[in-house]
Amino acid sequence: AATEWNVSVWGKRRAFTEHVEKLAELVSEKTNGEFTMNVSYGGLSKNRENLDGISIGAFEMAQFCAGYHRDKNRVITVLELPFLGVENLEQEVAVSKAVYAHPAATEEMAQWNAKLLMTSPMPQYNLVGTGEARKTLSDFEGMRVRATGGIGNAFAAVGAVPTSVTATEAYQAMEGGVVDTVAFAQHAHLSFGTINQATWWTANLNPGTVNCPVVVNIDAYESLSDEHREALDSSVQESLDHYLANYAELLGRWDSVLAEKNVEKVEIADDVIAEFRAKAADPIRDEWIKDMEAQGLPGQELYDLVVKALADAKM
Amino acid sequence: MEPIEIGLWVSGGMLVFVLLGMRVAFAAGLAGFVGLVWLRWNGFDYDPDRFWKAVEISVKVAGLTPHSKVSAQVLSLIPVFILIGYLAYHAKLTVALFEAAKRWIAWVPGGLAVATVFATAGFAAVSGASVATAAVFARIAIPEMLKVGYNKAFAAGVVAAGGTLASLIPPSAILVIYAIIVEQDVGKLLLAGFIPGVFSAFVYAILIIGLALGFKNIGPPVGGFTWRERFESLPPALPIVAVVVIIIFFVYNPFGDAWGTATEGGAIGAFIIFCMALYRGMRWAKLKEALLETAKLTVMIFTIIWGVLIYVRFLGFAKLPVAFSDWITGLEMAPLTILICILLAYAVLGMFMDAIGMLLLTLPVVYPAVMALNGGELVSAADSAFGMSGPMCAIWFGILVVKMAEFCLITPPIGLNCFVVAGVRDDLTVQDVFRGVTPFFIADGITIALLVAFPGIVLWLPSLAS
Amino acid sequence: MAGSAAVLEDSSLLSRLDRTLLPLEKFCALLSGLAIFSLMFLAVYSVTGRKFFASPMMGYVDYIEAAMPIIAIMGVSYVQRDGTHIRMDMLVSVLKGRVLWLFELISVLLILLLIVALTWGAWEHFDRSFDCARPLCSRDSSIDVGIPIWPSKLVVPFAFAILSARLILQAVGYGRALVLGLENPVAVPLTLTVAEQAEIEAKSLMGED
Ligand code: NA
Ligand code: NA
Repeated sequence: AATEWNVSVWGKRRAFTEHVEKLAELVSEKTNGEFTMNVSYGGLSKNRENLDGISIGAFEMAQFCAGYHRDKNRVITVLELPFLGVENLEQEVAVSKAVYAHPAATEEMAQWNAKLLMTSPMPQYNLVGTGEARKTLSDFEGMRVRATGGIGNAFAAVGAVPTSVTATEAYQAMEGGVVDTVAFAQHAHLSFGTINQATWWTANLNPGTVNCPVVVNIDAYESLSDEHREALDSSVQESLDHYLANYAELLGRWDSVLAEKNVEKVEIADDVIAEFRAKAADPIRDEWIKDMEAQGLPGQELYDLVVKALADAKM
Repeated sequence: MEPIEIGLWVSGGMLVFVLLGMRVAFAAGLAGFVGLVWLRWNGFDYDPDRFWKAVEISVKVAGLTPHSKVSAQVLSLIPVFILIGYLAYHAKLTVALFEAAKRWIAWVPGGLAVATVFATAGFAAVSGASVATAAVFARIAIPEMLKVGYNKAFAAGVVAAGGTLASLIPPSAILVIYAIIVEQDVGKLLLAGFIPGVFSAFVYAILIIGLALGFKNIGPPVGGFTWRERFESLPPALPIVAVVVIIIFFVYNPFGDAWGTATEGGAIGAFIIFCMALYRGMRWAKLKEALLETAKLTVMIFTIIWGVLIYVRFLGFAKLPVAFSDWITGLEMAPLTILICILLAYAVLGMFMDAIGMLLLTLPVVYPAVMALNGGELVSAADSAFGMSGPMCAIWFGILVVKMAEFCLITPPIGLNCFVVAGVRDDLTVQDVFRGVTPFFIADGITIALLVAFPGIVLWLPSLAS
Repeated sequence: MAGSAAVLEDSSLLSRLDRTLLPLEKFCALLSGLAIFSLMFLAVYSVTGRKFFASPMMGYVDYIEAAMPIIAIMGVSYVQRDGTHIRMDMLVSVLKGRVLWLFELISVLLILLLIVALTWGAWEHFDRSFDCARPLCSRDSSIDVGIPIWPSKLVVPFAFAILSARLILQAVGYGRALVLGLENPVAVPLTLTVAEQAEIEAKSLMGED
């Protein structure tokens, strides 16, 4: 029988949603158009309510970011801890996969009637900024930065003030001086126009990234016919591969974009990064583990899992 | 049944309920809720066992919408703008403005009427609502015009028409609402309203001067103010200038970075007017009254917003906006012709409906169609049908529909501004006011035609800011 | 349009219930007004901090978003009480007597149906974000400073519950008028012509009511 799924994402079609689009395409292909996905960009829900929508059964698949609502998804915020040392998207996929498979993560998502399907891997969130380039920790003091989740905490740890205007408002917030700097992945700097406001970009600060899983409604998933479920499951890796290839292309163009927009590429000195890491990474991680353990979640175990998965991926 | 069919039936049903007099906000919310249930049960092939499941899902989707939709920082602009208007009244800025306008410009033919238009334009800069502006000036300006022998109906018409300027000149609640529905930059839309608002005021003024030269009973010039008297009239009206400058500089600073967001500019403006009102003797009793009135108007507007957004949620599931814009772009007509037809449809609809309700109910479907007509959200000016980029088209269309909605405030049979003016003045009937406001239809027609023909009038200022 | 219509009163139980509910509704509306007023100060404080002291306010956006439901929804019943929610009254303004009460009754009952559903749905939305097995009972938190969102979500079912009570009173009021064929029933906003409404609006603006 024909199955039609509604999929809730937001913004407009961009590198960040390419795996979802690819998944829809592959599933339809493999089932001769019997299983279709209707990807809606904001028409079905606000992004911060996507997990609620899944829980209700309003739509069958959705994307969201862990940092939007930490208390909804405490477990996977481990992936947003600053300075985990993830170097590329392949490693990001590997660590996400490991955490998503952990019972604590599946159980917490099951409370929302959600099953983690795949991540939306993103490169490290580097800063674009206006005015003088900020190159030392003292430059970060009092800096108004658009950064969410663990990255926001990291900047707060060195005296900056995270201000989470939504991604769509980031451009105007920068123009209006509500924020001086915006931490985004490269595709978002392009699609939300923050690169057009910028005079500099930190090439190597690499403070961390956000984690944005794609989830499916468990009831909808389980009521799929074996053939359709197989079509879905078997398309996940292929969709991620497509996403990675597409993103690699975008990163390849990045330097020329910087040159074209006349944006200075700032290399932060190693000792500054080391100092930043010491001030932000360790205390925030320890705090996070303590907080999770206090709530009965295996914080230490999850962190160790990330470290191990990352080490494996780097081999 | 196809989801689109359900979308059409439910939308039709909603319009019937609105026409039958159900509160607009709730008619929209109910249509959205019923539509969600219908759509979901349709998906379950009308299986009786799963009807309650369909209801449960719909209840939860509809039930999260009010909180979800109102919890947005950008929406805080609306109550702040409304607050400015009420505080401005207590700060006695209206009288000060009219006095200054009179002393400076009443010497031209039709002088007091021209002064009234510019005073309403000035008040528009602190008031977000047209009807309030008309009500206030009916008290202040009409008696003065009658004193020097103006035709009664004409004097009333000037005030009713002048009141409409409030929704174009920032701050404007209705422009904020437009920006939110279509998800465009609020600051740029507010900037965009400024020149067309002032432009409209000048078109009104030219019309009045022309009429005064042609007909004797329009009203003589009022002169005889000394320069000293003129300059003395300025300080009491000065906070208005401060507020305008602040709001504009928060959105767009020609000398450098803008100062902040529109919301912050509005809040600082409100604060200045609040201090002024305190200075002019407002105390807790009056403040409480102003806060209650602000809350009432705010809640009324927000109820329409979340009610309509439940309906919009349903439309999203029914895919109606996509279907409508496909249909519009498939028409064998020039895009500009279609756009003009859409604007004329608004003129007809506006005769019967309140402006905010009208925009909220129609834009979710009409706006995507207009954007598609121009070539899509991301189109560049060179590839577009109207010669402007996607975001610019959104701004232009916004100003056009708001001007259209304002035009409807003075057209029979439900021209609200005319009712308000007649309501304030015991010696005027609604028919009198409609008669007096007729010349301004022509002025508004010319203004709208010029805004369509020369989009630069709308787009110049916002294009500077980007 | 803002501006209150007439709600008549007498010594009947219905009218007494109407007057009992009114202070609560008015208090909620005033809370909304005060929240708007605070918003103004919050923005002034935040801008001053940012512009002149280079110390921007942490969590500014979170606090505004948390306050928005109070601003936007808390007063919803007060506005329904006197018929301020806008509608097109071309038709109802020419109706009279029992036909008018029938129209109003159906309209209020349909609104009641919607609001009861929304009260339930809004409660569920609150309930999903509320879990007292966790710190601060929070199962949903704001983006910057991580404050719990459940108090802000609770505002909605609370306000809607009051509105439901108001709608029940109005339904009884219109039902009574329909059955008894009353001309000027108590506890319901009486339909005014556009002109009468405009006059009240203008007067309220002039601060004369
Ligand atoms: Na205005
Ligand atoms: Na009209």
